[in-house]
Amino acid sequence: MEKNKFFNRVLAYFTKPSNVIVVAFLIILLACIVYPLYSVLSLSLTVGQMDSLMYNSLFGLHLKKGSFSLLNISMLMFGKYSAEYSASFFWSPLWNSIRMSVYASAIAVLIGGVVAWLITRTDIRYKKFISSVFVFPYIMPSWTLALVWKNVFANSQVGTGVTGMLESLTGICVPSWFVYGIFPCSIVMGIHYAPFAYILIGGILRNMDANLEEAATILKADRWRIIRKVTLPIVMPALISTVLLVFSSTMASYAVPVFVGSPGNFYVMSTMLRALYSGSYSGQSYVMTLVLVLIGIGMLTLNQALIGKRKSFTTVTGKSGQVSYVKLKGNKLVSVIMVVVLFFMAIFPIFSFALESLCEVQGDYSTLTLKFWLSKEDIGGFQVAVGKGILLNSVVWKAMLGSILLSLVVALVVGTSGFLIGYGVSKKRGSRMATLLSNVAFFPYLIPSMAFGSIFLAVSTKLLFLRGTFLLLVIVASVKYLPFASRSGTSAMMQLSGEIEEAAIIVGAPWITRMTKILFPIQKSSFISGYLLPFVSCIRELSLFVLLASSGTLITTLLSYFDERNVVQMSNGINLLIIMVVLLVNFTTNKLTGASIDKGIGGN
Amino acid sequence: MPEIVLKNVTKKWGGFTAVENLNLEIEDGAFITLLGPSGCGKTTTLRMIAGLETPTSGEITIGGTVVFSSQKGINISAAKRDIGFLFQNYALWPHMTVYQNIAFGLETLKWKKPDIEKRVAQMLETLQITQFAQRYPSELSGGQQQRVAIARTLAPSPKVLFMDEPLSNLDAKLRGEMRTELKRLHADTGSTFVYVTHDQLEAMTMATKICLMKEGVLQQYDPPLTVYNHPSNRFVADFVGNPTMNFIPAKAVKLSDNTARLEMLGEKFTFTSENSFMLKDGDISVGIRPEHLPISPKGSVPGQLTGTAYSTLPAGMETTVKIKIGGTILSSVMFGSLDYKVDSEICFTVQSDRILIFDVDGRCATSGTVTK
Ligand SMILES: Nc1ncnc2c1ncn2[C@@H]1O[C@H](COP(=O)(O)OP(=O)(O)O)[C@@H](O)[C@H]1O
Ligand SMILES: [Mg+2]
Repeated sequence: MEKNKFFNRVLAYFTKPSNVIVVAFLIILLACIVYPLYSVLSLSLTVGQMDSLMYNSLFGLHLKKGSFSLLNISMLMFGKYSAEYSASFFWSPLWNSIRMSVYASAIAVLIGGVVAWLITRTDIRYKKFISSVFVFPYIMPSWTLALVWKNVFANSQVGTGVTGMLESLTGICVPSWFVYGIFPCSIVMGIHYAPFAYILIGGILRNMDANLEEAATILKADRWRIIRKVTLPIVMPALISTVLLVFSSTMASYAVPVFVGSPGNFYVMSTMLRALYSGSYSGQSYVMTLVLVLIGIGMLTLNQALIGKRKSFTTVTGKSGQVSYVKLKGNKLVSVIMVVVLFFMAIFPIFSFALESLCEVQGDYSTLTLKFWLSKEDIGGFQVAVGKGILLNSVVWKAMLGSILLSLVVALVVGTSGFLIGYGVSKKRGSRMATLLSNVAFFPYLIPSMAFGSIFLAVSTKLLFLRGTFLLLVIVASVKYLPFASRSGTSAMMQLSGEIEEAAIIVGAPWITRMTKILFPIQKSSFISGYLLPFVSCIRELSLFVLLASSGTLITTLLSYFDERNVVQMSNGINLLIIMVVLLVNFTTNKLTGASIDKGIGGN
Repeated sequence: MPEIVLKNVTKKWGGFTAVENLNLEIEDGAFITLLGPSGCGKTTTLRMIAGLETPTSGEITIGGTVVFSSQKGINISAAKRDIGFLFQNYALWPHMTVYQNIAFGLETLKWKKPDIEKRVAQMLETLQITQFAQRYPSELSGGQQQRVAIARTLAPSPKVLFMDEPLSNLDAKLRGEMRTELKRLHADTGSTFVYVTHDQLEAMTMATKICLMKEGVLQQYDPPLTVYNHPSNRFVADFVGNPTMNFIPAKAVKLSDNTARLEMLGEKFTFTSENSFMLKDGDISVGIRPEHLPISPKGSVPGQLTGTAYSTLPAGMETTVKIKIGGTILSSVMFGSLDYKVDSEICFTVQSDRILIFDVDGRCATSGTVTK
């Protein structure tokens, strides 16, 4: 009797689609997060091939690959062998990562914040142009600007001695720290994430009731006092989250430090992790992963702690019907400066790549040739096999198609999951399960891509059927890109009142019909943005896949392969190709459906 | 001193005109309401005077100082116009306590700390919110937030106070109380109040003068009773008063300077005005307030009209009776509680010297009496 009652209750619980969704996603996500984390923990206590050789020769041990040892941790972090070893392989990369992330977040929030303020609060000109082009650096792969930096500033006095644009045009050779190291890394990352900050801060500013600022104007506060006393404190929670999100992203980034850091012997956590891993010091590389994950978790905790509860900011979402724009002094000048800066941030890179891919001799613009695009014969003169010109190169095409296919599948999985999670969470809003699900779905954001890749690599060493497969890439990318999709899906669903679905329930529409005919169409552009963002993120992703995919599988890994081997014309050309695909997809989707990257991130 | 003058003020957004060629003079110490249906340009007008919105053209003067002039290129910022502004949604700063919200304006003016404390304490007391001083806005009810907003606006003693539908977010009872208090506040401070509302009752009861707008165009600018008794056109007559005025289609033939023959409700009437008026013979409409159609027992008074009860709406103190006569339904308001059976016979008279005649264009031609 009792048993029957319990059974009936369970049955009743699962006849509601929202309950099924919440429970199913919780189980899947926990499996995709808890098990991998456990693997990392255990692998960080397991010695790798070279780890064992190293420990055995240093300490006269007889460890084998795969045996348990705390040495990974003590060697890497606590100077078991020597303080210098720990310093150069762990503490200094950690310190570099932190410094780089701090500078980059400061730059991103400063630029993004100022642009957001200019666009939402002043009468600056060319708003439409500025706000649509300003997001380019975020849509383009993060190393885009790193490559441009190299293309422009590399010179004969520095590193490999390649001649950059600046030197070949003016003869000026900038010093080494300017070309490689923390300076370019921070700036490039800062600019890459500035649009991200712009979207988040701009969204808040747009939603913030303009009357709050006008009330201060009426009370005779000047512009600066209003920003300091009213605007900033009110957007502060968003600002803090933005800083932390950018900080986590920068900590995680691999591509930029590899392009403009490593050549100058500037190593950060992610690049060191990769170096250790490819040197078969896997035990130590997993220690590194673990530290990165812990930092990510720390960031989230900090975020929660910093946002106070009492000064509720819920009132911020007022409708601000009429915004009166601040009159910019020297409007024309500021507008023109903005447009020029944007040109260098967003348009110039495209030209630069095109140009570099056309130079027979790198940096020598008198040797223009189309051979890197069109050559029917294999291109020689490099230490590695290059193959035919990009447009005729079967390896390039295969990698490109691989990337597109992967991105499509991932976008489909992520976008749909985001929609469903949004539905489940909004239906069960306030319940503990819903809160747990939305937190768990955001968790992957906190794990750096590189660490994420390495976590799933660890999983694939245990679940061999996944090893090196397309499926593994799909799983990794889907989980990694879920956070924003679930966030934007949830906020879109929350805006719909429950009655909208109930009205359809009453006329007897089945669940599937309600989803596809009613809920999805109403917030169409938001949900489609939930598909667009993962597509764009995935097709330009490198750090997540670099440990998991071989160089010919994806277009980005192929790009990285050519760049590391100094086939600059090919890497520039391929980069141009990626940018074109990304911009084209973004533009068409935007025109056809109104979806946009902004909406995918949660701005509006 | 702070007399506000608007000359030919126009505001356009692209091709859309929100306010058209507005001329207005607001005397010192007046309580003006900007009245009109939603979207008619009230908020825009208020914001232009306050300096939160820039007019497309025209001139605005406050207290003899030109604060805006499109011709002279003058545009003084809101901060320098010496005004207070009460926002519809209060716009309290969520990150400041009640005390900090009220003190903000005084700090901006660089008042000394003890003076600020004294003034804030005084404001808190006036508005009876002393016990909430250390709370954040999100911890207050709507009515309390409203009081805080008023305190914040009044603290620096502005000479002119602008209010944009300040009571529309409150429940009916609280709204009634706040009306009384705002009117009292106006008397106590002696400041000029400019008050936006779409509620005609609010405008009638509070204002010294009503400025009624429609689609960005000023319809009438007069004291409430003038607007009520002598509306300049049919729109104004219809907008003011509850229940609304009866408009009865009629045919008119002018008899003399100040008389006309009216044919309406299937009967013939003679209309007499105290003044001479102009009217083209033909279709017109006659405006009669519900209180000017008193119901009386059959045969008790001369000149009765007869209709049937369509429905009766007793409200306690007065009763609105809908009377069907011919194809027309008229409203009549009677003092006290009445009840008529549906479709029973009802006799009533037209009794007023304020019957209005609107010509075909809706312009009010004149007012006077009708006799059967
Ligand atoms: N910033 C704006 N841009 C374009 N049209 C506006 C803007 N603000 C108001 N309007 C339009 O101007 C008209 C008057 O608005 P408003 O003054 O707010 O009306 P209300 O009388 O309800 O306060 C409305 O039709 C509104 O849609
Ligand atoms: Mg309004």
